[in-house]
Amino acid sequence: MEQRLRSEVKALLEQGKIDRVIGFEPGSLKFTTTPLITSDGGDVDHLVINPFIVNNLSVYLTGTSGRVGIVAKGCDSRSIVSLIQDNKVLRENVVIIGIPCSGVIDLTKVERLAGKDRDELDDIVRQGDKITVTVGGERKEFPASEVLFDNCLGCEFPTPREYDILLDEPVTPTPDKAISEQKLDSLREMPPEQRWQFWKEEFSRCIRCYACRNVCPACFCERCFVEESEPQWVLPVPRWQDNLIFQVIRSIHVAGRCTDCGECERACPVNIPLRSLTREMCNLAEELFNYKVGIDKEAPPLFVAYELEEAEDLIR
Amino acid sequence: MPFSVCSIGILHFTGVKLKQAKEWEPKLLGFLCRWCSYAGADLAGTSRKKYPASIRIIKVPCSGRVDPLFILKALQMGFDGVLVSGCHPGDCHYQTGNYRARRRIAITKKFLEYAGIEPERIQASWVSASEAVKFTGVVTEVTKGLERVGANKLFTDERQGDGTATAQ
Ligand code: SF4
Ligand code: SF4
Repeated sequence: MEQRLRSEVKALLEQGKIDRVIGFEPGSLKFTTTPLITSDGGDVDHLVINPFIVNNLSVYLTGTSGRVGIVAKGCDSRSIVSLIQDNKVLRENVVIIGIPCSGVIDLTKVERLAGKDRDELDDIVRQGDKITVTVGGERKEFPASEVLFDNCLGCEFPTPREYDILLDEPVTPTPDKAISEQKLDSLREMPPEQRWQFWKEEFSRCIRCYACRNVCPACFCERCFVEESEPQWVLPVPRWQDNLIFQVIRSIHVAGRCTDCGECERACPVNIPLRSLTREMCNLAEELFNYKVGIDKEAPPLFVAYELEEAEDLIR
Repeated sequence: MPFSVCSIGILHFTGVKLKQAKEWEPKLLGFLCRWCSYAGADLAGTSRKKYPASIRIIKVPCSGRVDPLFILKALQMGFDGVLVSGCHPGDCHYQTGNYRARRRIAITKKFLEYAGIEPERIQASWVSASEAVKFTGVVTEVTKGLERVGANKLFTDERQGDGTATAQ
């Protein structure tokens, strides 16, 4: 896949079909990758595809000019579709280089299973359903399902829905909602006061760095409501009340746009389980309005569309 | 002195809370569409219909004007519940405002319920300009629901003392 990606990108750049490409290159730390945005054909050989390409690169689309080639996994491609639906990106300005994705690796899970810090691991190799971790010459094997991110385990669309080039054969989806939504289910079982208490405690840790917002392709407002000063909806100081309002409203703003890519939760420096909010938003859009995010670029966005009769049971 | 007079002669109340009733009564904030529910509430008044004094009303140009943020802010400010009321489906002055409102409110209500806010606190209704009786019925029912779930302590903070203002 990696070789094909490089040659395709090289050709696209040479033929002038794209002005620049957004992809992944190896990160400075072990088992990481970092976004690469370049128009230089010489950089193309740095492009990589491996089980650590976690970022949803579509976040860079709105800020990149010209015709852009972009490497996209299943969820990322749906984010791009959603941006097209919102008129934030023009379809003809992007060349989507699709990766049929079988999930990205959650290093925290690997660390827990291997009982070692990521710096102490020598190698992590994925082969099909198995992950082999090498520590100090010793090899340990784990089923892939135990080390992939929760959102990947529930992924319904691992193969990009919208693409110009697909780098490999489509992947058969094997979503396991129960495993992927374990955390959400445990919240659902709590009485409401306890749930509120849970979020109150989680958001007492929030430092309002806005990393969650900044990595999110669905958070594309030029001016975020948290930065309004007249009226000042939320105080800039990180009080749990305002932190929680910020995140609840952010979740509502990304309703119908969030593809459960998991970036917000990964970005949070204080490990707030943000996906337990945003994933529920995807569920609600589907349950209430039969709306699946990012599968039809012609469809109107969730809050623009309506049916004459719906949700009437919630209204007096 | 609980009030002062400023240089241009306007009376400012300082730190006065409205009469503190001994017994707690729910406080409901209503966002009413000016084309229908607001007029319906007006009609209820002019026809001398009785309904709980729990509701404080804000007139909005359309139920579609109500941002989920308004609902959350009202709860943070200490209101026990929020009612959004607009024209019946098909009757919106702007054709589709209430359809949009319906999606937003449905998502907001369900999502806040998941986060731990009692669904009784977020209410919506369709009330036309002629439905004074329906309006009084809605306010009565919603108020009863709020009495059942009790005072809104969602945003209070034991440690810092004051995260919530008292709605007046
Ligand atoms: S809200 Fe989080 S999971 Fe959803 S699209 Fe944004 S970053 Fe991805
Ligand atoms: S990334 Fe985490 S700490 Fe930063 S603003 Fe978002 S929730 Fe708060």
